[in-house]
Amino acid sequence: MGQAYIVQGFRSAVGKANRGGFRFYRPDDLAADVIKHLMKAVPELDKDRIDDVIVGNASPEAEQGLNVGRMISLMGLNTDKVPGMTVNRYCSSGLETIAIAKAKIEAGLADCIIAGGVESMSCMPMGGWRIVPNPKVGKDNPTYYWGMGLTAEAVANQYKVSREDQDQFAFESHMKALKAIENGTFKDDIAPIEVTRIFLDDNEKRQEQKFIVDTDEGPRKGTNVEALGKLRPVFAADGSVTAGNSSQTSDGAAFVLVMSEKMVKELNLEPVARLVSYKVVGVEPRIMGIGPVDAIPGALNMAGLKMNDLDLVELNEAFASQSLAVIRETGLNPDIVNVNGGAIALGHPLGCTGAKLTVQVINELRRRKQKYGVVTMCVGTGQGAAGVIELLK
Amino acid sequence: MNRRIRKVAVLGSGIMGSRIACHLANIGCEVVLLDIVPFELNDKEKAQNQSLETPSVRNRIVNDSLTSTLKSNPSPIYRKSFADRIKTGNFDDNMNLIAECDWIIEVIIERLDLKKVLFDKVEQFRKPGTLISSNTSGIPIEMMLAGRSEDFQKYFCGTHFFNPPRYLKLLEIIPSSKTMPEVVDFFMDYGKRFLGKTTVLCKDTPAFIANRVGVYSIMSLFHAVKDLDMTVDEIDKLTGPVLGRPKSATFRTCDVVGLDTLVHVANGLKENCPNDEANDLFQLPDYISKMVENNWLGSKSKQGFYKKVKDANGKSEILSLNLKTLEYEPKQRVNFPTLEMTKPVDDLKERTKMLFAGKDKAGEFYRKAFSGLFAYVSNRIPEITDDLFKIDDALKAGFGWELGPFETWDIIGLEKGLKMMAANGQKPAQWVADMQSAGISSFYKLENGVRSYYDIPSKSYKVIPGSEGLVSLANLKDSNTIWKNNDCSIIDLGDGVLNLEFHSKMNTIGGEVIAGINKAIGMAEESYKGLVISNEGQNFSAGANVGLIFMMAVEQEYDELNFAIKAFQDTMMRVRYSSVPVVVAPHNMALGGGCEMCLHADKVVAHAELYMGLVEFGVGLIPGGGGTKEFVKRLSEELNEGDIKINRLRDRFLTIGQAKVSTSAYEAFDLGYLREGKDEVVVSRDHQLKVAKESVIQMADEGYTMPAQERNIEVMGQEGLGIVYVGANSMQAGNYISEHDQYISEKLGFVMCGGDLSENEKVSEQYLLDLERKAFLDLCTKKKTLERIQSILTKGKILRN
Repeated sequence: MGQAYIVQGFRSAVGKANRGGFRFYRPDDLAADVIKHLMKAVPELDKDRIDDVIVGNASPEAEQGLNVGRMISLMGLNTDKVPGMTVNRYCSSGLETIAIAKAKIEAGLADCIIAGGVESMSCMPMGGWRIVPNPKVGKDNPTYYWGMGLTAEAVANQYKVSREDQDQFAFESHMKALKAIENGTFKDDIAPIEVTRIFLDDNEKRQEQKFIVDTDEGPRKGTNVEALGKLRPVFAADGSVTAGNSSQTSDGAAFVLVMSEKMVKELNLEPVARLVSYKVVGVEPRIMGIGPVDAIPGALNMAGLKMNDLDLVELNEAFASQSLAVIRETGLNPDIVNVNGGAIALGHPLGCTGAKLTVQVINELRRRKQKYGVVTMCVGTGQGAAGVIELLK
Repeated sequence: MNRRIRKVAVLGSGIMGSRIACHLANIGCEVVLLDIVPFELNDKEKAQNQSLETPSVRNRIVNDSLTSTLKSNPSPIYRKSFADRIKTGNFDDNMNLIAECDWIIEVIIERLDLKKVLFDKVEQFRKPGTLISSNTSGIPIEMMLAGRSEDFQKYFCGTHFFNPPRYLKLLEIIPSSKTMPEVVDFFMDYGKRFLGKTTVLCKDTPAFIANRVGVYSIMSLFHAVKDLDMTVDEIDKLTGPVLGRPKSATFRTCDVVGLDTLVHVANGLKENCPNDEANDLFQLPDYISKMVENNWLGSKSKQGFYKKVKDANGKSEILSLNLKTLEYEPKQRVNFPTLEMTKPVDDLKERTKMLFAGKDKAGEFYRKAFSGLFAYVSNRIPEITDDLFKIDDALKAGFGWELGPFETWDIIGLEKGLKMMAANGQKPAQWVADMQSAGISSFYKLENGVRSYYDIPSKSYKVIPGSEGLVSLANLKDSNTIWKNNDCSIIDLGDGVLNLEFHSKMNTIGGEVIAGINKAIGMAEESYKGLVISNEGQNFSAGANVGLIFMMAVEQEYDELNFAIKAFQDTMMRVRYSSVPVVVAPHNMALGGGCEMCLHADKVVAHAELYMGLVEFGVGLIPGGGGTKEFVKRLSEELNEGDIKINRLRDRFLTIGQAKVSTSAYEAFDLGYLREGKDEVVVSRDHQLKVAKESVIQMADEGYTMPAQERNIEVMGQEGLGIVYVGANSMQAGNYISEHDQYISEKLGFVMCGGDLSENEKVSEQYLLDLERKAFLDLCTKKKTLERIQSILTKGKILRN
């Protein structure tokens, strides 16, 4: 069996949930727009030859329900020949889909798959509209259902991550992200999206306004460690995790085109990268943030690599406490982690994040002319995921 | 033609203006709130390159004022969304808006020249016949007429609110010589019925009635401290709740009002009332001048007669000012034998008699202070008013006194009061002697439930105008009580309606009140149209008598406890399921059991000032008198096909779990304690009982049938239980609640889900009551719950254990 290659990939800019440019833009529209952009970049490909569209999503209900993956294949490709499915592994959904695509292609089940993820956190509350825990589990193992913020507190406590370190980490994330935006670093990644807003003016007259969203909205220019230090903990009365040192809720979509070696040759395309390995692990749900500590070595091992072979790490940065615990426990070189800022600054559109970070790491490896990157994240209810990316050109 | 107020312009958005605007919005008016355009840009505006032409800059003063007012505590607004009824603007661009208004109130700075400039502008836009008034507290109304059109003069008068206008009940109405009688009559009635105020008609004399006498009273105390060698702490102890006055008493009130404001009024009185026999008293004592010099003005400058400091451990402490040394010192415990003696006496009238009879320094203080006050108020007639009741009304409503000077005098007795005054060298007005020689010995008289006052010119009693048609328990109590026990009375309101009044300590609900409710419903079913449950205490009810629960629980008399709780539940159920309408009319606090009683009424006629909540968590319990059951019932009723039930369950759960208390009757609707379309809000406390009584009559006349008991309450069972357990655990893990709170939460959730049923099921009220009672009793066996109850009983504080 041949290799599966990533031929092309794009992401939308990441909007601030409930306040940003995508706050009323439907996730199916957003995902379809990114796929259209992706297809334009590969004119050689006849869309009817795509075998599947696999969409990661962490809250597949309401606007994201009814198998939104199929809806997105219809809307984004404008053909009914290509199927679509939705995959949920919370925050690693967008990476999971790429792994599924790779596995299917390498198993000979497909030649060409669009894989990625989308999340609109504007369109529903965290966890979804109707949370109905199993009462037996709720009584015996309530931590299985803990909110992520509370698990971040548990990680901070268990791994002794101080409030000061968390705030400093958050501040640096913003600074790196602001610098990257200023340098136009993300231009390579981003598919600009045109949004039309229909609204009533002060006199209740219907108005239309068109605007383009092409820049990440999360990073805060004026922030500083003092201001971050003044924020109150939001998940525990005497805790250390604040809105400032947690990732932001966001809206975004990202997709890559994964293709078989055979088809790449046939279409005379140049593959840019490949997912070398992908590992998901289970950990104690109470400290879910620690998931990457086991996942990263697992993925490296599978790829036959060592820690110091890694050139870049894109960590989902759900919380500063979790990020610092992972960096320390895994022994990662902090200088290669989230070099352009992470989700504390740029936002964390859950189901999209895995694909978004894949797009980012590929482009950054290319800019740096380096070879190996890892995309890794903690995953709700006690999991960790990591995928090793190799740059090919 | 009937005059109606739909839209009001408030000119001036300072502390008073913006708060008056809020209160008008409270009662449903549209409000236009205007203020001046700023003279210069602030730093932020400069940084943003704005100009004095930028609209947001032009309205900055008014918008900033309103924003800070809306944030103030206690809130000036009944419900946050009511603030949307207020539209802001400025005098230069938006004065045209006053043309649409039915009433224009001026509330700008107290300077006649500026008021004149504003009124010139008002005249350009005001439609003829529109009401116009000033909230001035110091400038004579007559002086504002100069240069005004005839129409303006006819419709102009003083409407003087007291700060905070939502909470202080007084509204003084001050006509000029040109004000049309129709305008005065309108404001007197509108202020009462619509704004919920005590309206007092005043003469146009300096500081009108309340401030004239109130500031006299404060100034005389300022001097008395020195004469009697007393301290700030002592005076505040003696002139606070023990005397039926607010906790802030004298000096703390000064700190709240601001010494500068007080000095301003005192100086005005000193200057403008040269013939006032107490003119000397308006001269500021040295220590006051010194305090003003030091900018120790009270709350606004963070120190006045009191100062809040933090010790090394960050614990706050309140220091009080030693008036001799002008140093702040730790608060002293005030001890007077007279005060000790009055401690067990709840009845204010009895207590007042004891205070005046005191043989110690406290007694001496009261006799001296009130001798002066009695003389002063008697001598103010006819200068500031012709009617003695207006002085009492003004002080009661404007300063929160429970008794006016003449009412206090009646309690002491006319003769005793006169002797006391003679002993203290005070001389009352001649009319008092004339009254005495005419053989009349009291300023007020209560006859057949009607209260009348001594009318000086006619030397006879007259009914207090405006009280006709109102229903007052205080007036009816003596003549119409048809049954009573230690804690409550049944009073015949006439027209076939009974009223059950509690008078237990803090109006708590214990065995005797329960007996009273059953008795009253029984009597009403037998031979009346229906029943109102209301009282005229400070609060409607502080809740069930937890002392009783505590005793039974400590003695482990669980069978008795079960029986008592069952009796409470049965009584609440009887409030709903009787053959006559039962209307509950709560005011101020209606907590715990008091809230549960309202939840079971056929209708609640609520005073707008209603602080209602199921607060049982604070004492380690869940609502056990049908409150939990009722929340489940209401949850089931409010659900529509397709609603996400679990989120509604969570909201209802949290209202009890966080012991949420409404800050107004409107908020009680938002919290689900009151029901839209069924329960009603009355802004005027004086009219509340009348409305409640009329509601009973209306329901009875329309044909009242006892509601049927149905098994129709849908509960969620296990579908809801999971989130209860996870939520409680998460809150505990986040240290927001204690382990015991978690335990109580789980108990509450279990009842609210209707137990661990496998699927959604319809249940009866009794099923839920039994679950509720079982959980309640279980909690009563827990040590931590008992510790909580004990803390409330002994320290009055909520223990978080």
